[in-house]
Amino acid sequence: MSSELITLFMFATMMALLMTGQRVFGVIGFVGSAAALWLWGEGAFEMPFNASFQVLNWYPLITAPFFIFMGYMLSESGMANNLYRMFHVWFGPVQGGLALGTVALMVLIAAMNGLSVAGMAIGATIALPELLRHGYDKRMVTGVIQGGSSLGILIPPSVVLVLYAMIARQPVLQLWLAGIFPGLMMAAIFAIYIYVRCRINPELGPALPAEERARITWFERFLLLREGLMPVAVFGIMMGLFLTGVTSLVESSAVGALLATLAAAIERKLSWKVIEDTTRKTLLISCMFLWIILAALCFSAVYDGLGAIKAIESLLFNNWDLSPWAILIIMLLSFVVMGTFLDDTAMLVIVAPLYIPLVIKMGFNPIWFGVLYTMTCQIAYITPPFGYNLFLMRALAPPEVTLVDIYRSIVPFAAMMMISVIIILAFPQIALWLPNLYSGR
Amino acid sequence: MPRPIELFVRYVDAMNRRIGRIAMNLLFVLAALLLSSTVTRLLLGAPINWALEMSQFVLSAYYLLGGAYAIQLDSHVRMDIFYSRLSPPKRALTDAITILFVIFYLVVLFAGGISSTNYAIVYKQQNYSAWAPLLWPIKVVMTIGVFLMLLQAISTFFKDLAAARGKPIA
Repeated sequence: MSSELITLFMFATMMALLMTGQRVFGVIGFVGSAAALWLWGEGAFEMPFNASFQVLNWYPLITAPFFIFMGYMLSESGMANNLYRMFHVWFGPVQGGLALGTVALMVLIAAMNGLSVAGMAIGATIALPELLRHGYDKRMVTGVIQGGSSLGILIPPSVVLVLYAMIARQPVLQLWLAGIFPGLMMAAIFAIYIYVRCRINPELGPALPAEERARITWFERFLLLREGLMPVAVFGIMMGLFLTGVTSLVESSAVGALLATLAAAIERKLSWKVIEDTTRKTLLISCMFLWIILAALCFSAVYDGLGAIKAIESLLFNNWDLSPWAILIIMLLSFVVMGTFLDDTAMLVIVAPLYIPLVIKMGFNPIWFGVLYTMTCQIAYITPPFGYNLFLMRALAPPEVTLVDIYRSIVPFAAMMMISVIIILAFPQIALWLPNLYSGR
Repeated sequence: MPRPIELFVRYVDAMNRRIGRIAMNLLFVLAALLLSSTVTRLLLGAPINWALEMSQFVLSAYYLLGGAYAIQLDSHVRMDIFYSRLSPPKRALTDAITILFVIFYLVVLFAGGISSTNYAIVYKQQNYSAWAPLLWPIKVVMTIGVFLMLLQAISTFFKDLAAARGKPIA
């Protein structure tokens, strides 16, 4: 069998087994290790373990549990409740204001969170019940929370961008900086959409009723602003230390986790229960994340051994004779297709080593490609059948939000994300301006 | 289920739960390590050359020893579009079959771990770095972690099998 066929066969087997609903890491690891034994015989039995051992040289991964910890500290301690309240009183009087406030909340949470799980948890458990109680359209707000929480992997600190940086051998900081404007742009597009829809049809998002507005004093409003300061301060100090080179990336993440804990303590929201829940959830998510990486490394080591990278390269360049842009767009489309079936972490570890050398060879900027990858990943995050955000939404949302609502709600948001990807494709400067500015180019 | 199997399940679950609870707190060890090295570097101006590598070792222990606990609490993500629509007994039956794939992977990983650890001990393998630590201790920890995962996967297999037969192990 040719290496292309073997690779194809491995992917097909993996997809089929994933459908059974077995744990993702186990399925990927099985296909990888079984293929190794089948192709190279018993001598290859050490390969899965040795592939896993590679993780030991990926120092930036140390940041993952800390950035996950920060997000959970925000949600478990109840600091997020006050944050929500702040946006509630400030945005509430506008039509659709609570939904607009939720988008802003999601941006703020993204700045304290490395993955999108914590944003999702906060959105679904704190914002969603409030929005529903105020008569907001459930399909619209479910979409807002799912779309908004996916910003967590685009706005720094982002664990997905750290992983990309390692695989692509690019500086993490450049990627983080490149993610900021596309993230804010996407949030702005969401906000415009909400505003326009609520303007056309006020029933979707009624403004806070006059009597409720009257109950909120201006004193309270300004007092609540203080709540927003905490996450901003945590993010600001952490990034400041990192940008000025006082702390390294890994050290910054530990500092960030410490600061988040201190912020909870200052707010008098730190208890043993909070610490215990945060630590446990951090362990569980980190284990899930890292075991998927281990299994994906085993999988990719096999087709690396097969020389599949060369095969795909010759297929795209010589056999199909495609232009660089066509190849780039095919790559992004493949992310969307694969991302609907495969976990995005696994996808990154499996596919990025295939694509990134090609991207660089074609003369594209790998930082820009990283942002495009993450944005396409976000689409995959929220689209069925496979999306963390969908699972979480289903588990966390109040019972009146049905599965159909959840699936319908993401359509406009997925469309807006696609538009954002196209904008970044057409105008790479949006992503690259900030990193270029920082490095003085 | 026969009594030895029930005992196996109970002991494995209890052990992995305890180990997972310990592993959970390695996060604080990791934080202390990084923060103290940051402070030392800033105050004394000299970086601790082993801090980063040591952190990486602690991280490995963290998720390898904690992985089994995560299986126990069913935190490893699944693609559940079809799976979630099955009835609980059917889900248990599918799981009881498909977890054999996971067990296969973990067995290969475990065998590789033993052989790799053995090599590291015999040849006193060191990391390529300024600190150049011996690699066998971390390999031992990793192999133990994989072994615990394997035990937990087997325990989960028995639990799924029992649930599929309508007599779940409490």
